[in-house]
Amino acid sequence: MDSVFFYCSPETAAPKGGDLHGLKIAIQPNMSVAGWPTDAGSNALTGFAALEDATIVRRLRQAGAFLCGSTRMSEFGFGLQNSRAGEALRQQTADAELVIDLTGESRLAASRVALCGFKPSYGLVSRFGLVGLIPSMECCGVLSGSVKNIRDILKTVAGEDELDFSLPDEEPVDFSPQEIDPQETSIGVITEAQDALSAEEKEMFRASLDELREAGFSLRDVSLPDFSLFSLVHRIVGSVEASSCAGRYDSVRYGQRAPGAKNWNDMYLLSRGVAFGPLMKSYLFQGAFFQFERYDAFEDACRIRARLLADMQRLTSQADYLVVPAVDCAPSGAPASLADTYAQFASTAFANVTGQPALYLPPAPDGAHSGFQLAGPRLSDASLLALGEHLLNVRQGGK
Amino acid sequence: MEFEAVIGLEIHVELNCATKMFCDCPNRPGDEPNVNTCPTCLWFPGAMPRLSQEALEKASLLCLGLGAELQPRSAFDQKVYYYPDLPKGYQLSQAHLPLSRGGAIDIVDEGGNPKTIRIHHIHMEEDVARLVHEMEGRLPISLVDFNRAGVPLVEIVTEPDFRAPHEAMEFLKALRTQVRSVGSSECSMENGTMRVDANISIRPRGTTQMSTKVEVKNMNSIRHVADAIAYEISRQSAAVQAGETVILHTRLWDTDKKVTLPMRAKFEGPCVPDPAVPVIELSRDWIEKMRARLPEMPAAMAERFVTQHGLTGEEAMLLSSDPEVAGYFEALVGQGIAPRTATHWLTTQLIPAVRDRRQELSSSPVTPVRFAALLKMLSQDEINANAAREVLVQLFDSDETPEAIVSARGFGQVSDPNALDSLIDEVLGAQPAAVADVRSGCGKAMGFLIGQVMQASGGKANPKVIRELLAKKLGAIS
Repeated sequence: MDSVFFYCSPETAAPKGGDLHGLKIAIQPNMSVAGWPTDAGSNALTGFAALEDATIVRRLRQAGAFLCGSTRMSEFGFGLQNSRAGEALRQQTADAELVIDLTGESRLAASRVALCGFKPSYGLVSRFGLVGLIPSMECCGVLSGSVKNIRDILKTVAGEDELDFSLPDEEPVDFSPQEIDPQETSIGVITEAQDALSAEEKEMFRASLDELREAGFSLRDVSLPDFSLFSLVHRIVGSVEASSCAGRYDSVRYGQRAPGAKNWNDMYLLSRGVAFGPLMKSYLFQGAFFQFERYDAFEDACRIRARLLADMQRLTSQADYLVVPAVDCAPSGAPASLADTYAQFASTAFANVTGQPALYLPPAPDGAHSGFQLAGPRLSDASLLALGEHLLNVRQGGK
Repeated sequence: MEFEAVIGLEIHVELNCATKMFCDCPNRPGDEPNVNTCPTCLWFPGAMPRLSQEALEKASLLCLGLGAELQPRSAFDQKVYYYPDLPKGYQLSQAHLPLSRGGAIDIVDEGGNPKTIRIHHIHMEEDVARLVHEMEGRLPISLVDFNRAGVPLVEIVTEPDFRAPHEAMEFLKALRTQVRSVGSSECSMENGTMRVDANISIRPRGTTQMSTKVEVKNMNSIRHVADAIAYEISRQSAAVQAGETVILHTRLWDTDKKVTLPMRAKFEGPCVPDPAVPVIELSRDWIEKMRARLPEMPAAMAERFVTQHGLTGEEAMLLSSDPEVAGYFEALVGQGIAPRTATHWLTTQLIPAVRDRRQELSSSPVTPVRFAALLKMLSQDEINANAAREVLVQLFDSDETPEAIVSARGFGQVSDPNALDSLIDEVLGAQPAAVADVRSGCGKAMGFLIGQVMQASGGKANPKVIRELLAKKLGAIS
């Protein structure tokens, strides 16, 4: 069986000292480490070695973390088909993993290994040095068995970066530990987010809600009638952005240049033909279709996205946090189609569309319920993680 | 059927910034290939564009200088096209939310009537790489030079307000002058810092229908833009008259053959917003700060020259069209030289002399102070015009003051009637025929006699005094 790792660090330990000293972190090969192969899981970048460190990489190393290697990933991190995200945690070769989250990959990968997975707010973490695909949706996620680890990592990597001008000029998020008072905290349950669940899944999700109630939180039903549109909007906007952005992965200056071309035009076309895998190809084709043939639909999708964002802001004013199911309906067997992939991430794509933070919490070891996602308004990352930490403490018999 | 042309221009102007648009690489496209590159302008995976403050400022000044309205919110898009000079597959350009809208340039059309050409919008974009085609033995190879990739450009898109090649030429000249005076670019078509694409369609004169347009590129001088437009108008008119349909396409101007030839279409699609480059939000304060940095624009300056200094419109336009010349002129006037004298000597003597010596006015040894001293002696009749021209030549080669040159070389003008009297008598004695002509009223002969006296004086006599004396003497004789 293939190794979990795509590349293992030639170093054996991190320099001493720093807030994260002793923490072993696995990354993915779309996160640049100078000199490391950085192919983002794609033939289009075969053999490409990063020239400079990503901001997240530089900050983690400065804080004393040990980057043990990069794990195998799906092409550009889209979907979990060839991803081994989470397995380094299961094998205990890493204490935390960074996993790019385009449609919910970090959260569903966490659910597969029954650990915590967090997608931070869009714009909180620098994207400098990330080999990206969907610039307005993707975000570096963090997996770990411990919410504290996730918080420490976020504290280290988040915030202003002079190499990424796209980070909005906002108040820095304070990641110091904070108390959660269940009596003072309301959690909204999005009714329509349960529509797609099977009877069994609904049952499991209700059990999750019971856990929250037992922990003393007040739950209230909130409504977002167009919840199902998150996935559709993601599919259109995401594919158009991917189609446009992936233009730069030309397989000419790096990657696999196809042989047998008669001229440059041929060479480009043939090379791109062999560069991308079937799922990526269909995604890029779909994006190109909307970009060139149905641009109006792309514009509609952008407008609907803005409306969904407003709807979500309304919900986060009705309750402090939201609870959303996290169902991994992974296609079995055959290579995933685009439709399969979007069906798989139907419960997680919302946070990529809105840019809000979302935390996956696994089921309690003895519990009869499923894992679930907690979400909050944009930049509520610190308190959302505090909520997750509080719930895990309760499970362990804490307060 | 008589046709009229409907023409719009798209002008790319390369900003003279120190760095490229989205990275810190030097903005020197002409250097050794690929020396001015980094992961950002090589468009490597993981790199992120960081918009240069200087590019934004120079682009904004250019917009304000053309009377355009800076938009409080503008943004970059990915303009997808597929060609080896753009390995990234998309160019960062402001397709949906341009930096400015509106603006206009006033020109004079062929009939001498004033005409306003409106600007639709101005947006920023990055330049692409340069392809170099070479032979490696018998194998043709294409090389890519990324020095030009990411060079800051603005694109000025006009309304289809032009009806004739002449108007396009006038517009481009005025545009060049205005952009030079704000200091954002040299706008040289020859050096490629200004590139012009023309969109041309024709329609039966008097109608307002919109016809299919043809884009023409590859002109490398303002003259060629006019030639290409003229050629395209006649080509399309002939085609329509022959019953052919004009199809939307792009043609290249062939400078040698003086024709436009169709080129293969580039694959280009609609633009997708790029969240990697933040939206540009310009506050009212910032825009006002930029406006305060704007120099006096040529049109306003020309108007002031007419009202304040009593120049003709033509003289004022000539001086104000070059900020360097305008500054020099004002320095002369500041030294107390009469504006008309300053204009005349600056444009007919000094500028040609500077140009002959391949110098720049601003760095020429003939500073405004020295030139003013020379003109002062001229207007106070201490020297005559001939001597002034001689002294000017000396000023280029000597550090001495004009006064020192005049006294050292004996250029001083002789205005004393007593000193000239005997010279005049000699000339009159030697030229009886001319004397007779003058007496019979021939003005030319008077000029001849003055010239003779000048010659006899070694060029030092004051021509005004000679004329007076001659008139008196010849009048006395008759």
